[in-house]
Order: sequence, then structure tokens, then C-alpha cells
Amino acid sequence: MTMRKWVVVPGFLALAAAAIVLSAYSGASTPQGRKPQQPIAFPHPTHVAGLGMNCLYCHFAANKAPDPGLPAVNTCMGCHLVVGPSRPASQFGPARTSAEITKLQQYWNAKKPIPWIRIHKVPDYVQFPHMRHVNAGVSCQTCHGEIQNMPVVYQAKPLSMGWCINCHTGRSNPPFKARYDCSTCHY
Amino acid sequence: MSDTSAPPSGVRRREFLKVLGATGAATAAIGCTSSHVEKLIPYLVQPDNDNTVPGVSTYFATTCRECAASCGVLAEARDGRTFKLEGNPEHPLNRGALCARGQAAVQGLLNPDRYRGPRMRRGNAWANITWDEAIALLAQKLAGVQGAASVFLNRHESGAFPAFLDQWLSAHGLAPHLSYDPLLDGAVVQANLQSYGVAWPAIDFTAARLIVSFGADFLETWGASVPQQLSFADARARGAQAPRFVYIGPRRSLTGLNADTWIPCAPGSELAIARALVGNGSLDDVATQSGAPADALRALRSELESASPALFLSGANVRNAFELALAVNDLNRSHGSVGSALLPDRAIAAFEGASRDADVIDALDRMRRGQVALLFVRGVNPVHTLPAAAGVADALAKVPFKVSFSSYPDATSELCDLILPDNHPLESWGIAQPLAGEMSLQQPAMRPLFDTRATGDVLIDVAHRTAASSRFGMTSYRDWIIEQYPGGVRAFTAALEKGVAPGRVAGRMSAPRSTTAAAAATPAITPLAEGEFHLVVYPHPALGEGSGANKPWLQEMPDPVSKVSWQSWIEVHPTVAKRLDIVPGSVLRVETSAGHVDAPAFVYPGIRPDTVAIALGRGHTAYGRFAEGIGINPLTAVPVALHPGAGVLALSGAHAQVHTVDAFDELVTTEGSARQHDRGIAQVVPVTALLSREERSRLPQTVANVRMPQAENAPAEGGEEEEEYPGKPDTDFLPGLRSAVAADAQGELVSKNAKDRGMYALDHWSGMAKRRWAMTIDLARCTGCSACITACYAENNVPTVGAPYQSTRTPGYQGRPGANILRGREMTWMRVERYYEGNVEDSSFEARFVPMLCQHCGNAPCEPVCPVYATYHSPDGLNVQVYNRCVGTRYCSNNCPYKVRYFNWFGFGEANRTQYAWPEPLHLQLNPDVNVRGKGVMEKCTFCVQRIREAESRARLEGREVQPDEFTTSCAQACPSRAIIFGDAASPDWTVSHVAADERGYHVFPELNTYTAVVYLKKIVHPAPPEAPSGA
Repeated sequence: MTMRKWVVVPGFLALAAAAIVLSAYSGASTPQGRKPQQPIAFPHPTHVAGLGMNCLYCHFAANKAPDPGLPAVNTCMGCHLVVGPSRPASQFGPARTSAEITKLQQYWNAKKPIPWIRIHKVPDYVQFPHMRHVNAGVSCQTCHGEIQNMPVVYQAKPLSMGWCINCHTGRSNPPFKARYDCSTCHY
Repeated sequence: MSDTSAPPSGVRRREFLKVLGATGAATAAIGCTSSHVEKLIPYLVQPDNDNTVPGVSTYFATTCRECAASCGVLAEARDGRTFKLEGNPEHPLNRGALCARGQAAVQGLLNPDRYRGPRMRRGNAWANITWDEAIALLAQKLAGVQGAASVFLNRHESGAFPAFLDQWLSAHGLAPHLSYDPLLDGAVVQANLQSYGVAWPAIDFTAARLIVSFGADFLETWGASVPQQLSFADARARGAQAPRFVYIGPRRSLTGLNADTWIPCAPGSELAIARALVGNGSLDDVATQSGAPADALRALRSELESASPALFLSGANVRNAFELALAVNDLNRSHGSVGSALLPDRAIAAFEGASRDADVIDALDRMRRGQVALLFVRGVNPVHTLPAAAGVADALAKVPFKVSFSSYPDATSELCDLILPDNHPLESWGIAQPLAGEMSLQQPAMRPLFDTRATGDVLIDVAHRTAASSRFGMTSYRDWIIEQYPGGVRAFTAALEKGVAPGRVAGRMSAPRSTTAAAAATPAITPLAEGEFHLVVYPHPALGEGSGANKPWLQEMPDPVSKVSWQSWIEVHPTVAKRLDIVPGSVLRVETSAGHVDAPAFVYPGIRPDTVAIALGRGHTAYGRFAEGIGINPLTAVPVALHPGAGVLALSGAHAQVHTVDAFDELVTTEGSARQHDRGIAQVVPVTALLSREERSRLPQTVANVRMPQAENAPAEGGEEEEEYPGKPDTDFLPGLRSAVAADAQGELVSKNAKDRGMYALDHWSGMAKRRWAMTIDLARCTGCSACITACYAENNVPTVGAPYQSTRTPGYQGRPGANILRGREMTWMRVERYYEGNVEDSSFEARFVPMLCQHCGNAPCEPVCPVYATYHSPDGLNVQVYNRCVGTRYCSNNCPYKVRYFNWFGFGEANRTQYAWPEPLHLQLNPDVNVRGKGVMEKCTFCVQRIREAESRARLEGREVQPDEFTTSCAQACPSRAIIFGDAASPDWTVSHVAADERGYHVFPELNTYTAVVYLKKIVHPAPPEAPSGA
């Protein structure tokens, strides 16, 4: 009996350690593909692909600040005061009622912000200034995927360090020039 | 049982699969990090149109109200929370500098123990009430109270509020308020009013040739410390033109340690010395009486004959302090400093209008006699800040209804009946009057965090419900101050941008009377009986009279003199320690006629052998988790000694018995050794050895042209005595300040065979390797005040570790304040080391202060020993610590010769741990640009890399290069003596490159070939001039 324990316990530990290391390097622990249900099913395709709105209309600080900015509820209501939940048939499509716009108006009338669920997040020890990337010509899609075609937003890219470094060391297509010193992002 | 039944050795297939399955499950559990749901909450309505940009700070110019001086501050806010204060560079008083207390104001704002709403006493318990109920109750209590039957005790402040308050009180038929400031030197104010007609003349130390301070601790709490320190540092940095500084007093305070000469005298004998210096009385008699060395006094008198102007300051808190202040004013007049070094026409108005201590004591007497029906207390804590012998608590018990406007529970508010918590000054409107012709505006930098209201607003609401409503038609205090403001709302709004405006707001209607007391009735100073000691009580440099004690930064900041934190101590002279057979930490009992206190001994050479000293500020019975039960309040043992004429309380000078107590209380100190042991950490140069200006002009002027190798191919063999350093200039860090850097710092990147040197190549497009971030620290300017320490805590999310609740997991130290520091777990990235030089047995010893932080060595010993490459050298010269790579071996710390690396022994930065340093809402103070480190990670000074990267990002956004001196580190920005300069030493355009080339520059431990990026400039010492042979 004792013999067996001496083999099984270290064996278990060694395998566990190996599995953890492997999983860390394989990217298995990144939340890539995460697709949580949002309080309002905001359709990016309708707004971006359909209406041709610029990303910066809502994410107004992406080109000038570290944080891209999330539209305030009054930004939404700027249009949705007029564009209400029920729409008659028109050139944009058949008549329909939108439960999501109703929800938006409920938030607005209750004077409550919309509690969006965060999808794209780098760890706290990573500093990601949006404006440096946007101004360097990195498209939103490079990190966020084909977001203009996502009816429900999900994390399209791993956002892991290896994935970041790929661009920073000029191995992307087209290649970018970027610093890759640790203290560029980690402080 | 039998051999055949034993399993075969090795792992069988089935067991292997079991193990594998369990491992997979474990991996899945570990990998499943995304289940944590984080919310993104947008604004409902975007504020300020486009002025609020996420991730970019907004700065509000406002006024610091931590002491009466009213420095200008810029409050940095992001997403609606204020998290950092910096000095306002445009403010005439503090010119961008800020002391530790001012910076810690955010910890008052975000203090977890603040009152969260109004409450009233019901029996023995507190009941939360609404503001409507509170205001109605107060309006009802006001009815029927007239004149002096009400006492309003307000914390002394300058500007609009005192006038408003008196107007409100008079509208209700009540007596004017008392403006109480326990830190203000009332004796000096009374004497100045008599001599110059102003409370506090501005002091210009640069104009003086000799500074003589009679116990005036102008670098700490005496007067307006920040402008005084700025001026003092400017004066002392003038080399041969700098004034010599003589400190006279029983104890060397931080100010005293900065003096060139200390003349120790018994408390109370300063007056006799001052009079002898003008020629009244023989110096030998005075020397016998005061215990001061006669030859030192003779030397001072002969020095005074040639040094003009000589600036005299008085600040001894003794019974004859008023007479001393008058004598000092006479000395100033006769030695030509009035109008040059002492400027009554540029008065600091912040100290005008303060009540005398006697008025407060008198109010207490009236309370005790039952003549007071209604007491208001705002911003002061007299139960804690007046001697226990004054019987404040007993007097308060005789008042039927007591209203407190305190923001925090404290010893006084706990005795009150109605708590109407005031907004924090950073949530309030106001106007201060720091200088006679300059107003300092105060605007909210944050919405009120809790259900608190500005006292001005509350009083206006009360007035609306009383007969006084016709005189208060406005709806808020803000409206009231705008009515008073010259130019009205438009001018006020325009001035808010800058925070300061010329002009004067209407002051109090009834300014407190000035004293015309004759100086003749000098209270006698009685000599000590056998075995007695003088007791000196002084305000703590950071905690002040105690209001700072609920801010963990200030508790954790080691006292600049004793280096003790989170604890009270009793200073005794080494000879006394020997006589009593005690060691540092042995508990002593100091007993006077008024009472006694017990505290551990700190053996200090800077105190007279017949004197013991205790700092104020601690010993709170109620002031929140960071103050309660920490240390002792020496006022328990201080008798009430009121000057009959000037009405000033003297806290020092009582006679005390000192007994040993059979107990030991280990000192919570960050000090390693008080001696340098010839290590050359803090170096000095006598002023006589400094080069003259002409000699200096012949030297090369910048680092760049000293050290930039001009000819890349020609090794420096032409130079006669030139030392040769390994490494080629084109791959070196820019010449490492003093020298080329050793090749191993860059490893193979420096190798000749390397094809791609990456960002370490000078011609890399990023240009990173062209920079060499570096710092100079001028020890001739540094006073050791430790404002830089607090600035570092504020900027870099450095956790405080000494609160009692943080030690509950430390065996043997449960609940002990400072336990983590006792175990060597402090996290202070920057510390100020204090070293004694010379003979500590007599008064001639010298003290040197060295701010010590990561030296960002070009050839760093910490880097090669890291097994996981978590610390390395960046191309721009930073020694970087990558927290997420760190696995906590602590090899780097072991190998660091400067001992500036700090390890997270506990989860100080993790909210779910008991040692968490930022209990809600203190966590709002965290700098969003800086990572909060977790358990098991090494951390250290980063040269504020977040500021470097932010400046680079800003420059890139604006399509330009980072401009010289565009930004600086947090410590350099706060430094009230402007001792620290930061920048790119490789570029001649940055100031730091010129300063680093100063002849006084040196590196600490150069023999280790570390090639540090911090250059210290030697302290300048000013030896006493040779005594005239005809002296005495």
C-alpha cells in the first residue's frame, strides 16, 4: 500500500503541474469566444454595417485616450428618442417592434445606466492605451474581430501576450512598428 | 497479508487514467478565469460635453485645508473620483510644492471611518436621522438661546467662512465664534501683532546671512511650512552665500537637525539667551542658568557682529514664549532683518483672526459653570488637543445641547448630541486668504461621497427656518461667497481655472483683540529639583496636533527624526538611558503634577540630558481604525499653563519624574543603523571647499558634453587618468551618467556579433536607447521632511502595512500597530535615511538625510540573479520590475546593495484579504494608471514609469517629441525643498543633465560598479567661523 501512495501522489502532482503549464501556454485559459448575454442585445451590424456609423461616434475617446469610452445613455437616446420601439414598414424593412429599444427607453426613463457586461479585458498588470493603437493605424477589427458583423459581441481574439507580441515585433501582416520592451505595457 | 497480495510497484494503467482525469478537472477549474463577471457602467449623461475623457485625468484647482496656511492644490480626478493632490504651480504660497499632510488630504476625503450621514444621540445610542429632521431640530434648539449662551468653536481658517459664520451667529443673536487652531504659535502671533501689526510676516531666508531659531520648527508645523521650506532650501543651496543656521532649544527637531549648530538650553531659558544676545546680562550667567555651553553662546554673539542681516525666529512653546517672541522681534529689528528677511508688508494672512487659547479656556469655564446652553464644534477636537487637566470633557458634560460638524467620529464628537457631518474640504466651496493680497479659491473636486453637507449650506438652511431668514435669501453657501466675491459670479468662475486671484474677501466682523500685555510680568522659570526632567511636548511633523492620525500614510510615514511609525515614544538622552539602565523600547513613565503617560523610550542624542520629549498627535480614543488605540497623548500629563497677558497655552516646560516600567514595547522603526560606518551614503562638502563661480565656469557644463564619447572609434586612451569601462559607446546606455555601463547589463545585445540589438540600438526607430532617465537629489536642499515618501505612496499605490487590523495574522503580534514593520515588511519605495555624524555624546553631532530609492543602476545587481527575467534593464535606462513575471524568489532583494526592493508578504493589494490596505472607500484613492501588486510579488520604485509613458503617449498624440522638463516624478513634484530633479540625463536640454554634472555630484556605492541613475549632490556644511580672539 505504501509503495503505491509514494508513486501515485508525486505522479499526480507532476501531471497536474505539467497540465497547468501546458494549459497556460496553449492559450486554453484565455476567454476567447466568450459571448455573454448583455442586458440589451445591441446589434452592432444594424448600426455599423447598416447605418454606416463610425465607431468613434459612440466610442468617442478611442483615438485620444487610453480608454475608448462607452456611450452614455443619452448618446443612445439622441437617436432613439425619435427611433422608437415600433417601426412602420419602410425602405429599411417591414414593420416591427423592438424589445431592445423598449429596454433602452426603460433604462433612460428610470435614469439608470445600462450595466453592460465586459467582454474584452486585459489583466490589471497590462496597460493598453487605445489611442496609441488607433493612431498607429491598427483597425478596431484587429483586436475586436469583425465586430460590425457580430449580432452578439464575443471575444474574437485571444488577447493573450503572445498574440500582442506578434504584432509588436512586426510579425503581423501588414507589419506594425511597435515597442516590445516589457515596460511598454507592464507597470 | 501474503506477498502475493501486494500490488506490483509502478503505476497501473487504471490508476494512471484516474490521475489523468483528476488532473484535467483541476486544470479546467484553474483555467476557468472568465467566469468572473465584470460590468461596464457608462454615464447616463456624458458630463461636461467633451471635457471628460475616459482614462484621462481632470484637474481641479482648489485649496488645501489641512492646516491654516491654505496652499493651492490641483486635485486629480478621474471618472468622478479624486485620487491625488499636487501643489498648484501658480499658487503664490506653495509654488507647486505640497507637504505630506496636504497630500494625505485625499485619505481624509476617502476615509473609511467618516460619518456617512447626520445622526443624533438617543439615550446612549446613536440614531441616524435625515437632514430635514436634523435641520429642524437645530432650528428649534436655537430658539431661546442668546448671546454668550452659545459657543461656536470653529477650526481656524482664513477667508470667507469666518465672516459668514459671524454673520449667521449675529443674525441669530449669538456671540461671535472662536477660531481655534491648536497648531498655531499664539505667542508669536500676539507678539507680531504688537511689533508689526500683522500676525505673520512672510519670511525670506535667502536675504539672511545667519538664521537663529529659538525652537521655531519652521520646516514642520510652525507657521506656513511649505513656503518656509521652499525659501529655506533656496537659501541653503546658495553655497558660499548661504546663511548659517543656529538652533537654540532643548531638543533637536527636524528643523534643529538641519541646523549647523545646536545650542541646547533648558526649556524656558531661551528668553534669557535672547536678552543676553542684545547685551542684557552676562553670557556666563545665562549659560549657567540655561545649561547652554558658554563658548557656543560667545561664538554666536561674535558671529552676530559680522552677520547682517541676521534672522531670528521664536517658537518655543514655553511659559515665557510671548516675552521671547517680543525679544526676538527686537533682535530682528536691531540686526536688520525686518524689511529684508522678515517682511511684514507681505504678511501671511492665513493666521489672522485666530482666537487666543485663553478665549477657549474661558469658554470652557463658562460651560463648566453652566452658562452655555448650546455648543457648536466644527473641525476641531478640543478633548484631544487641550491638556486633559483643562477638563474639556467635564465642561462639555455641562452643556445641554452640543452640535458637532465633524466629518469623523472623534473624542469630541462622541460627546455631542447632534452630528451634522461637514463635507470634506475637497467636496466644498470656499475662499481662503493665504496672503494679504491673494485669495485662494476652493471648489469641489468630487461630489460628496456620503450623505454629508457643507456646514455653510446647513446653516443657511437653518436660517431659512428661523427669524434670520430675511438675511439669508441665498440657497447655498456657494451663492453667499459669490456675493462676497469682488466681481461676482463671472469673475469667480473665471478665477476657478487658476485657483488663485488677487484681492481680499471681507474678513471677520469682530477680529479678536490683540494683546497689549506688558512684557514685564514674565512667568518665572523654576529650576529643576533633583531627579526631575523638563517635559517638552511638540506637534508631530506629520500628524500635527492629531488631526492627521486617521490617515494611514501619515501614520506609516516614519517620523523624520526618530524614524518611528504607528507608535508614540519618549525621547531620552543616551546618558539618561545608561543611568536608568534602559534600551530603546523600554517603557518609561513620565509623571507630572497633571498626570502620567507610559510610552517606549527612544534614545536620542538630540535632546538635553535633563529633558524628555513626547510628540503630540497620537493616543486617540475615537478617530477611526487607523488612529484608535495607537500611541499615547502626552497632553494627559501636561498641566494648564496659560500666559496671563498673552493668553497663550504653554505645553512644554512642565517638570516631570521619569520612572522605568517593567515592560518592553519594541520600537516600530524603519531605521537600520543610525551610523554610516564609512559607507559614504550621505556625503558632505564644507562650503569653503566649493569651487568659486569662476572656477566652475571653466568646467564642462553638461553631462552630455562630459560623457558623450565624441569619437566613437577612438577609445579613451588619450586621456591621462581616464578610467576605461567595458562596452562600446554605440551600444552603451548613454554614458551612464558617470561612465559607460558594464556590458553585462545588456547581455548579448551588446555583443559585437549580435545582428539585431533591437531597441537597445541607438539607431532604433523608437529612440528609446537615446534616453537615460535619471534623477538628482540635492542634499544641500533636502531637509528630510519626508513629503516625497507620501507622494510616492499616493502615486504608486504603495500599500500601508502597519494598521492594527493588518497584523491579525502575525503570530505574537495580533492587533499590534506596526507589526508588519517590526517584521521588516514595510513597502515604502522611498525612504529617507537619517544618519548621525560626529560625537553623539555632546551637542555637536551632525545629522544627514538621504532619500533612498531604487537607484536604477546601469549595471544592476538585481537583474542577473532573477531566474525568471522579471527584472531587467529597459533601453531607456529604467530598472524595470515586471510584476506578472515575478515568482517571488526574492533573490533580487538579497542582491540589492541599496535595499530598496520590497516584497508583498501578504495580499496588501487584494480586497478579500485581511491585510488589505485600502478598505472601502479608500480604494477610490488608487491610481488607475498603476497596477496594484498582489501577494508574493517584489516591487520597487519605477521612476514613475507611468508618467514617462503617459508623457510619451501625449507627445505622440500631439505629433511631437517629449519636451525637456515636460513632466517629473511624483516625489520631485511634491518636494517642498525642490531637492529632487528628474529627467533625461542623456539630453543636454533637460535640467537634470546639468545638475548631475555639478561638482558636488556623487553616486552611492560607486565601488560596486553599479553605475546608478541617481546622482546625489553633497550636502554643504557651514562650519562656524573662527571665533574672534577678543571674544567674551
